[in-house]
Amino acid sequence: MVDQNSNYALQTSEVYVHYGKKMAINNVALNFPKNEVTSLIGPSGCGKSTFLRCLNRMNDVIDICNVKGKFLLNGNVDIYSPDIQVETLREKVGMVFQKPNPFPKTIYENVAYGPKIHGIASSQNELDEIVKDSLHRAGLYEEVKDRMDDIATGLSGGQQQRLCIARAIAIRPEIILMDEPCSALDPIATAKIEDLINELKENYTIIIVTHSMSQASRVSSKTAFFHLGNLVEYGETGKIFTKPDKEQTNDYITGRFG
Amino acid sequence: METAHTDKNFEQKLNHLTDNLIKMSNIVEKQIEIAVNVIKSKDSSDAQTTQNLDEQVDEVERDVRDLSFEIMTLHRPVASDLRLVFTALKVSKELERMGDHSRNLAKRAISISSSFDEDLTVQMHNLGKGVQKMVNQTLESFFKKDEVQARISWNQDAEIDRQYKSLLSDLIERMHNKETSVVDEGTKPILIAKSLERIGDHATNIAEEVIFNITGHYIDLKKSDFE
Repeated sequence: MVDQNSNYALQTSEVYVHYGKKMAINNVALNFPKNEVTSLIGPSGCGKSTFLRCLNRMNDVIDICNVKGKFLLNGNVDIYSPDIQVETLREKVGMVFQKPNPFPKTIYENVAYGPKIHGIASSQNELDEIVKDSLHRAGLYEEVKDRMDDIATGLSGGQQQRLCIARAIAIRPEIILMDEPCSALDPIATAKIEDLINELKENYTIIIVTHSMSQASRVSSKTAFFHLGNLVEYGETGKIFTKPDKEQTNDYITGRFG
Repeated sequence: METAHTDKNFEQKLNHLTDNLIKMSNIVEKQIEIAVNVIKSKDSSDAQTTQNLDEQVDEVERDVRDLSFEIMTLHRPVASDLRLVFTALKVSKELERMGDHSRNLAKRAISISSSFDEDLTVQMHNLGKGVQKMVNQTLESFFKKDEVQARISWNQDAEIDRQYKSLLSDLIERMHNKETSVVDEGTKPILIAKSLERIGDHATNIAEEVIFNITGHYIDLKKSDFE
C-alpha cells in the first residue's frame, strides 16, 4: 500500500554504500519533499552521485557496489525489496545524465521509446499525444515540431538535454534524478534547463546533483552538502547559502575548502 | 581562525574590505575623540581637524562601496562572505554619519562663548565621553566578532539616552529661568547634545549589524532584555 499522505516522495535512512572495501556513503539519512527541488552538493568524490544513483538502483549494475539502508518511495514502498522490478522502479524514478545521451534514433522515437516498452500508450494516437505533451513540458516542442523524424543527435547540446528530459517525463515518473544536467551546456541552454526545472517541480519531485553553487541556489528549495561520504548538512537552500550551521559547509560554499 | 580562500584574488579583496573598515573606524573614532574634547577646549584648529578627517572618511566610504560592488559582481559571495560584504556596506554608512555628527558638533562647540555655564559644559563633555566609549566597544566587537560585547554595547545606548534627556531638560529649565549664558547660546548646546545622542544611535545600529554578521539573524532587541 502506498501512503498517499506522505509529504515525502522518497525517504532514506541508514544508507551505507561500499565499493569493495572502500566506503562511499556513511550512514546517510535524507528525505525528499514532494514537488520540491533538492540539490546535492559537495566536492568530487564526496558521494553525492553515488547517493543519487542509489535512488533508482543504478548502482545495481556495478558488481563491487554494495548498497545497504532503507529507501522508501511514497512513505512505504521499499525500492530495494526483491518484489520490486528495477524497470518498474525506473518508471517512477527517472534519470537525466550529465552528458545528453539521446538514442541514435529520431526525435519522435527517443520520446516514444519509454512509453512503448512500458506499455503506457494503448494506441498510436495516444503515443503521439504523450510524445507531444512530453516535448511541450520539456520546452522543446516548438523547436522540433517540424522535424520529428530527424535524427536526435543533430540537435544542439541544450536541445538534446531537453529531449532527454522529455524522454524521462514520457514514462510519467514521480521523481526525476538529475546528475549535473547542465555541466556540458552553455549559459543560455543552462538557463533554459533551470527554468524548466522550476516548471517541472509543479508535477515532479526533482533531485539534482550539481557542482555549481549558484545553480543549487537558483533552482532548489532544499540543499544537502556531502563530504567524504557523510551528509554534513541539509536544510533550506536560503539558509545554507546565507548562514549554514556547519563551518565545513560555510568553507565549501565560500570556496575555502582546503 | 577562518580557513583561507582557494581563490586568492577573492581573499585579497575581502581582506582589503576589512582593512578599509578598520581604517574608517580609526578615523571616525579619532574624529569623535577630538570633537568631544573641543566641547571643553573650544580649540578651533581641532574643530578644523574634524572637518579634514571627514573628507577622509567620505573617501574610504566610497572605496568600501566600490569594492563591495566589485566583490558582489565578480565573486558572487555567499554565506559568511556575503554577510561580511552586506555588513560592510551598512557599517560604513553608519560610520560616515557618525563622522558628520562629529564635524558638526565640533563646529558648534567652538562657536559657544567661553562664559557658557561650566556645569552644562561638563555634562555635555561627559555625555561625549560615554558615547566615545560606546563607539569604541561596538567597533571592537565588530572586528573581534564578539556577539556578547555587541549586545553589551547595544545596551549602553539606554544610558546615553538617559544622560541626553537629563541634559536636555536641564537646558530647557535654565532657558525658562532666563539664565543669560544659556539663553545667549540659543539652540547650539541642544544641537551638540543631539549630535552626541545620534552618534550613540548609529553605534547601536552597528551593534545590530555585528550580531547579524555573526549569527545571520537580525535580532529583535528590546531594551528590557538587558535591564
